[in-house]
Amino acid sequence: MAGDTVKAGILKTDGNKRFQNGDFVGAESLYSKAIIADDTNPALYTNRAMARLKLSLWDSAIADCLACLKLNGESMKAHYYLAQAYLELRAFDDAVSHASRAREICATTNDKSLAQVTTLVLRCKKDRWDDAEKRRKRAHRELEEDVLAAMRREKEDSLAAMTPPTADAGGNSSPATTTMEDVGDRRQVAEEWDAKMEQLSRVFESARANDDKRREVPEWAIDDITFAFMVDPVITVSGQSYERASIMEHLRRQPTDPLTREPLRPSDLRPNLALRKACEEFLDENGWAVDW
Amino acid sequence: MSLGTKRLGKELTKISKSLPPGITLVKADDLQEWLLDIQVLDQNPIYAGETYRLKFRFGKQYPIEPPEVVFTKQESRPIPMHPHIYSNGIICLDLLGSSGWSPVQNVESVCMSIQSMLTGNTKNHRPEGDADFVSTNKARPKDIEFYYHDNEV
Repeated sequence: MAGDTVKAGILKTDGNKRFQNGDFVGAESLYSKAIIADDTNPALYTNRAMARLKLSLWDSAIADCLACLKLNGESMKAHYYLAQAYLELRAFDDAVSHASRAREICATTNDKSLAQVTTLVLRCKKDRWDDAEKRRKRAHRELEEDVLAAMRREKEDSLAAMTPPTADAGGNSSPATTTMEDVGDRRQVAEEWDAKMEQLSRVFESARANDDKRREVPEWAIDDITFAFMVDPVITVSGQSYERASIMEHLRRQPTDPLTREPLRPSDLRPNLALRKACEEFLDENGWAVDW
Repeated sequence: MSLGTKRLGKELTKISKSLPPGITLVKADDLQEWLLDIQVLDQNPIYAGETYRLKFRFGKQYPIEPPEVVFTKQESRPIPMHPHIYSNGIICLDLLGSSGWSPVQNVESVCMSIQSMLTGNTKNHRPEGDADFVSTNKARPKDIEFYYHDNEV
């Protein structure tokens, strides 16, 4: 049911003015009134979602984006705002998938926000990787502590089983059971355990050192225009690949190949699927590369 | 964050570590203006023993738009004599103009181009009409429509 579109339009314009002046509460309430007047206009929902993002109302911003997507599944803004809200809520998989969807829509509609949305895709992937990495490191530390504790127990049990030099019930020690040989054996067993534990700590330590070491971004994954990690590389006639957003930005200004200066049109660009796959795989394993 | 912020940060990291011979980074406190010194390394008598200072200014659209690059004069940093370099430091080089620029160029490659422009030069004079140009020009260097009358240089 289309509602009062005229009234909704006026409310929306007023809301936009409030938004531009930084009055996000006022904007949000005007967009709400606009939606009451006409609940079939997808743009009203994304406008309100944008105001709600500014107000850190993540859940209700998500509700607006989902309402918009029901009316228009191809709304770039709805996916873009959803990604931002999910990122704040640390729902990283959802954030990545909506940011990627928004980016694809930008690429097909030649939207000027392509660069900005591409940056968000990278940010989402980086944050997702950071989070997984934090959890992995914590699990690693816990594993180390557990194994060391188990080894300590094992060491004490072994020593306890070796006829310890305890005093008998009467308080008289029995010198016959504590020979020099026993003392030597005990020391040897204790030393063996200590050496094993030290070795284990070293193994964990060197694994940690390795984490911080692998910090080389391969040249092939870097866009020659922005020097950023590539998400959607496209290849030119001369065979060089660039991030779609940056070569499009360049072609808007000057329709030439950056390397050869030969004429180059957006329709000459082709997606470089193999490179794109390689970039994706590298980034999944090396999220730090986003901030290289 | 503008397009160039990340890129300039990375360029700075790289050139802080190493630059080709004869090019040194003097100052890069922010991502708007950098100073670099260049020397001509072969025995070209016009430039022997001298050091020249280049000033780079980056707009928000760098590297889609070219940086503004001029020589700046100060004590022991003269403006090099060249038929494409005006005495106020403005350089007439197609690479730095809006149509000759390419976003795959960078600070290092621009310095090298200017260095080699000096290395290959044998004419110890200013561009034609230097005095007039210097006293009347008000335009930003990249907006000047240079007339490349002397293409064999």
